[in-house]
Amino acid sequence: MEACNAVEREVDKVLTKFGAINDHADTTIRDIINHIESLSKEIEEAPEDQQLTPEQVQVLKQAMTKARDTVARLATDHRELHSTVSKVGKAIDRNFIADFASTSREDVFAGAEKTHLLNQVICQHFYRQGMLDIADELAAEAGIKTDEGRKEPFTELNYILDCLKQKNLDPALEWATRHRDALIAQNSSLEFKLHRLQFIRLVQEGPSKQSEAITYARKHLTQFVNRHEKEVQSLMGTLLYLPNGIQSSPYSHLLDPMLWLDIHDVFTKEACTLLGLSVDSPLSVCINAGITALPALLNIKQVMQQRQVSGIWSGKDELPIEIDLGKQGRYHSVFACPILRQQSTENNPPMKLVCGHVISRDALNKLTNANKNQFVSRLKCPYCPVDQNPEDARLIYF
Amino acid sequence: MADIKSLEHPTLKVPYELLNKKFRSAQKTLDREVSHVQNAANDFEKNCLRNDGTGVPRKEISRLLGGVVAKLQVLKRKAQESIAEELQAGMVCKRRLDHLKEHNNNSPSAVNQWRRQRLDRMLVEYFLRKGYYKTAIRLADSSDLRDLTNIDVFMVSREVEKSLANHETSRCLSWCHDNRSKLRKLGSTMEFNLRVQEFIELVRTDRRLDAVKHARKCFVNYEDYQLQEIQACMGQLAYPADPHHSPYKDLLDEKRWDRLIEQFRHENYRLFQLASQSVFTVALQAGLSALKTPQCYSANKEGKNPSCPVCHETLNELATPLPFAHCSQSRLVCSISGKALNEYNQPMMMPNGYVYGEKALEKMAQENNGSVICPKTKEVFPFKKIEKVYVM
Repeated sequence: MEACNAVEREVDKVLTKFGAINDHADTTIRDIINHIESLSKEIEEAPEDQQLTPEQVQVLKQAMTKARDTVARLATDHRELHSTVSKVGKAIDRNFIADFASTSREDVFAGAEKTHLLNQVICQHFYRQGMLDIADELAAEAGIKTDEGRKEPFTELNYILDCLKQKNLDPALEWATRHRDALIAQNSSLEFKLHRLQFIRLVQEGPSKQSEAITYARKHLTQFVNRHEKEVQSLMGTLLYLPNGIQSSPYSHLLDPMLWLDIHDVFTKEACTLLGLSVDSPLSVCINAGITALPALLNIKQVMQQRQVSGIWSGKDELPIEIDLGKQGRYHSVFACPILRQQSTENNPPMKLVCGHVISRDALNKLTNANKNQFVSRLKCPYCPVDQNPEDARLIYF
Repeated sequence: MADIKSLEHPTLKVPYELLNKKFRSAQKTLDREVSHVQNAANDFEKNCLRNDGTGVPRKEISRLLGGVVAKLQVLKRKAQESIAEELQAGMVCKRRLDHLKEHNNNSPSAVNQWRRQRLDRMLVEYFLRKGYYKTAIRLADSSDLRDLTNIDVFMVSREVEKSLANHETSRCLSWCHDNRSKLRKLGSTMEFNLRVQEFIELVRTDRRLDAVKHARKCFVNYEDYQLQEIQACMGQLAYPADPHHSPYKDLLDEKRWDRLIEQFRHENYRLFQLASQSVFTVALQAGLSALKTPQCYSANKEGKNPSCPVCHETLNELATPLPFAHCSQSRLVCSISGKALNEYNQPMMMPNGYVYGEKALEKMAQENNGSVICPKTKEVFPFKKIEKVYVM
């Protein structure tokens, strides 16, 4: 936020200064014009053959000098704003990172083949997001073939989501009723939330819809009393404030337009779980991960450059630091050997010792070799007192 | 906040460059109009007030006064127009800042919406760079992003690129002219290369005299280091325009036009201080790396997770050359439930060596009369055979 505010301060300065110079130029030039015009009129009104009086000549001279000075000052004033303008640029450079691309390699996505793959990913992303027209446009412009099968499950969902965006709940309600049992098994409150919005909408239309709202509640909300008692109560509470408008009532939070954005997300999530799709588009997951990772990577890059060890990070085998993507970002178990502090690989897999502790095979071999002098190789677990035969350790899979 | 700092430089820098450009052209306009007013005023003084106004007809005086007034009015109008344009350019910056500040929102739905918009913004920029203009415009319109993306800048370059592809130089030359001072500061050779190309085209069509005239007009004021290229150009005059027989066949190559387009794109990015890679590809690379694990590339399919983006077929291929995520601490997840394995959900090993979470296995045993099925190998074991493992 700091960064934005710093730039905004400079932009505000530019806006006020330009506003001021605009007003100033306007008034001063208008004054001069009026002055000269009145002089001109005075001269015109006098008889044709009368010569200019010395006073008139003086006044005219002064007017000309004033005109010249004023316009010259206008130009100088405007020129002086340059520093204000360029300060915006400096503030942007100071607060935002210009060479954000320094950690990435240009060649990774270069070439026709890679571009094609990337466009395919983007195309699928748009199908998921329900932006079919954009996906089709991209497919046409980038020359991608799309198969109908990929679009299929999204078409219905996207239709429903579109309707939700236009605040039409019917298709979503119809879908929720159709999948009621599965939704209850998922412990989902989607159907209740849809009915709640429908009810709020009726209530919003004022006292004329009162009886309709009550009928609606009797018909649809009663089934949720077990699970959503409190919420049903507060919904019915709105009826008390119907005549005076709910905006000024304690229930005004129910009118928050955020609820409509929420229902969009809730529906997507529930429907995707139900259909066994990953909830988020892989592309947006990647981008969000990248956005988390990038500041840290840029930071470490800068530090490495300062210490002049930038050559160490080739950008090929492993990132130089650990990026914490939170719980959502973990799709695979990663075992890092607690002894060698290395990630396990297929050549160096995790091994479970007899006592249950897990170390990598390389670590196991090193520990065993250290005690090789004896007739039978023995191993003491590095974490507990158990003495064991290294042959008994076994490969495990996470 | 760090993400905005590291990703949004172009979002703000481009409108700033436009503001700066508007400022400079406004200054030029003002200077010009100011000198007009001053000339008119000087004229008036010289002609009417020279001998304290004696002998000058009144009509003449008021005519010249009217001239001064007219010039003043033009100045007033032009000043208003140009300052309004500057203010508009400033407002674009301001709007983008406002949008960036919305990032700081507490409601998760609003943040999600903002992120979705950010992805769309990145994609618009990517499309523009790739030349998918129609898609870019459509996406920007449907997500209401026109003000927040640099479409206008790219639309100008689209026209220039189109004309270069048609082997025309005029649009690109007028672009060079528009941005002359900036380009000179960047040490750009764009205009020179265009002039060379024009010369080559004249030779190609065998208008050699015109070519010489063109060279006299355009090649005189160039820098020393360009001398060699000019010499090569002139040398071309001595040979037929047939690429097979001329020793200057690189000059006659049609590919030169493609290189001009490339150079133009590059110079345009530099002009607006745009990086050579789009924010989208940069973020995607970082993201793929941060998510990439050896399991995503393991030969047996069991290691893969359908909701992991890097295991996704196409992204998997794209991520191949990228580095893996770094991990010095074990991070285990139960592949049945997707929940983390830790002291509350201990990792348990089946007799076949596969490790799953305690909770998921207990639940499975309850539902299956005390036996568990390995989801990967489909073997069945009694729950009692399952052992704890300890991961440090």
